[in-house]
Amino acid sequence: MIWVEILSRHRDIASRFRFPGPEVSIGRGYDNDVIIDDPYVAARHLRVFRDDEGRLVAEDLGSANGTFLDGSNKRLPRILVDGRHPIRIGQTFLRFREPGHAVEPERVAPQRGDILPAAAAVALVAGVLGLELLSVWFSQIAEPRALNYLTPILWTCVAILVWVGMWALLSRIFSGRSHFFRNLLIALSGAFAVSFYSELAKYLAFGWTFALASSYEYVAIWIVVAAVCFLHLREVGPSRLWLKGTVVTALLVVAVAVQTLQRSEALSDSGRQITLHILMPPSLRAVPYRSEADFFARVENLKATLDGDRAQARSSPRSPLSQAQ
Amino acid sequence: MSFSVAGAARALRSLLLAGAIAGGLGHAAQAQSSAAETIYASAPPRLLQVRTLVVDAGRQISNGSGFLVTADGLAITNYHVVAQVALEPKTYRLEYVAADGSQGAATLLDVDLPDDLAIIRIDKHDAPFFTFDERAMSGELPKGERLYSMGNPLDLGFTIVEGTYNGLVEHSYNERLHFTGALNPGMSGGPAVTADGRVVGVNVATRRGGQLISFLVPARFASALLDRARGQSAAAPVDQAAAAPDLHEAVAHQLTEWRSALYGALEKDGFRATALGPYRAPETQAQWFNCWASTNASATPAPRASINSTSCTSDTGLFVAADLNTGTVQITHSYAKTIDLNQFQFATVLTQLSQPRLVGGGPFRKWYTRERCQEDFVSVAATPDHPPLRVIWCAQAYREFEGLYDVALIAVTQDHNDEALVSRLSMQAVGYDDAMTLGRRFLEGLQVSK
Repeated sequence: MIWVEILSRHRDIASRFRFPGPEVSIGRGYDNDVIIDDPYVAARHLRVFRDDEGRLVAEDLGSANGTFLDGSNKRLPRILVDGRHPIRIGQTFLRFREPGHAVEPERVAPQRGDILPAAAAVALVAGVLGLELLSVWFSQIAEPRALNYLTPILWTCVAILVWVGMWALLSRIFSGRSHFFRNLLIALSGAFAVSFYSELAKYLAFGWTFALASSYEYVAIWIVVAAVCFLHLREVGPSRLWLKGTVVTALLVVAVAVQTLQRSEALSDSGRQITLHILMPPSLRAVPYRSEADFFARVENLKATLDGDRAQARSSPRSPLSQAQ
Repeated sequence: MSFSVAGAARALRSLLLAGAIAGGLGHAAQAQSSAAETIYASAPPRLLQVRTLVVDAGRQISNGSGFLVTADGLAITNYHVVAQVALEPKTYRLEYVAADGSQGAATLLDVDLPDDLAIIRIDKHDAPFFTFDERAMSGELPKGERLYSMGNPLDLGFTIVEGTYNGLVEHSYNERLHFTGALNPGMSGGPAVTADGRVVGVNVATRRGGQLISFLVPARFASALLDRARGQSAAAPVDQAAAAPDLHEAVAHQLTEWRSALYGALEKDGFRATALGPYRAPETQAQWFNCWASTNASATPAPRASINSTSCTSDTGLFVAADLNTGTVQITHSYAKTIDLNQFQFATVLTQLSQPRLVGGGPFRKWYTRERCQEDFVSVAATPDHPPLRVIWCAQAYREFEGLYDVALIAVTQDHNDEALVSRLSMQAVGYDDAMTLGRRFLEGLQVSK
């Protein structure tokens, strides 16, 4: 008995035939066992039979375009069938399997009553919207207005749904299943990570006087975005993960580099950092107070930096008054 | 100077430089008086219009006035009339047109940056000239004395304007005379003389939005500059054909000297404590500050945190170039207390109050390097009368002037969640050591009332 499977471009099974006989012929002509409507396939293209040792062998019957193993450009007259690697003839992918082909063990289905993923989703939604509301609330210093809370919440929801919808669509196109819920979980985790980091950065900038956490917040955000994209791509299709990882990393590097360049040029135009000097309630202070002498010693160190800036500015040929020097 | 309409914390002074300004016609001619007629009749050969020309274009870019003070062609004008030539001698040059119609090239010899004066040489010999008034030099001129100011306003022709001497301007670091008369752009550098034709001061500025409020540089500074220029030409024989001396160094040097004296005086006068809520905030004792208070108590919608501020600004803005006016010192204290904000919202209010906002006196790209900041929690002393502070120190250096910086120091008290004093000391064109000394004293002056 021989099983013949015709695969889609994504190597999913498009149709499957069972042949009780010892041999199967494949081609475009109507005298074959399996007819393939592919203009690049010969009228009689391929024959699958058992050799003397009983192994399945696929043999090219003298076609013009030849027979290949999937992913290889080497034309093969005879292929020993292993049941795993698809075989390509023309633009069609085929797989031949014995009845005794080993299949993966049965996957255990999630318990019907398992509410963990749903609970995680609810928790993440609450986390994202909660952080959003909290930061709006803390920045409300004028008259309270409901719309100030409503607008960012609605925008966040719309943005997340559009994002998830896009990835679900891609999954549906490429893997046949949309995985909407999993994509939603991934997007929510990313949104939560970004919101959480942005609050954490404010706290670090104030409580730990670690302003870098806040001024390089965009790096953290891009890393989260890249990780989220990678996870979405994994949902789209688990194959070639290393390639997807490389592409995502490359995009991450480009995004961070462009934004760093943009900031440094804005800084050289305005001379000001665009980040705020953030204050929080004094009780959030996490580092000890410096003595006045210690603080002014640091201030004095700043002078060397400023003088370095001046020397650099004066040595630049575009210095406005340099001709008078 | 506090002539401004109530509420205007920062008074504006406008210099009398006629650029490419198409201003309305100035003031109608004063009623003719015989004194003015007599004075003006003798003025023409010694009264000048001083023009700054673009070397490559050969046309004027701005005009001022000037007057001869020696028989051999030395004339006084304002620094701001000739600043472009002083800073960029390759791009700009000077010319004069006398009221009698004679004209020619002028050479810039020396400048007095703090008093906004310059001395130029023109090719005249045995010419009549103005002398300085002795009573004005020794400060004995009575208020109300009639003065006659001359110049060429808005390039409309030479005019004489009658006005009144009103003594020294109060709250001013640089000495200026208060002249009640109509000065207009273009009259900068012209003389203001007594009825007998002796110079009391040099036209320099007017108050924007004021009525007939004008300022003169006292004659003794012009006299001192003349003596200095004479001493220099005695040391080095006069060579009429010699190229103009490079004054960039002189400008930088005078700016440095001036700010050393300014911040030295600020240190010497010291701070006194003023009560603001439960805190005591340091305010300067120097006389040349204008202080104003502000509050948000009557704001609409009703504020959710009350903010009461005092702000003291020094009247020490110094004209260095058309796009650089620097040297202002500002001390601001804001006492904020929450009304119905929680402590995080209140911290947002404080964040807004405490941004460094380092304001330079000119465009950043041309004059300054980038801002550098140091931020930390600081405890000045462990005693209970010194509140713990969050301090931000931001500074930028001047590209062209060695040893000159703009500094902003902000301190926010950290002893309560629901009230705080946000204090700010902004210093333009300060030496780094002066800034640190004043900064320390400022932080030490922040105290809690008993």
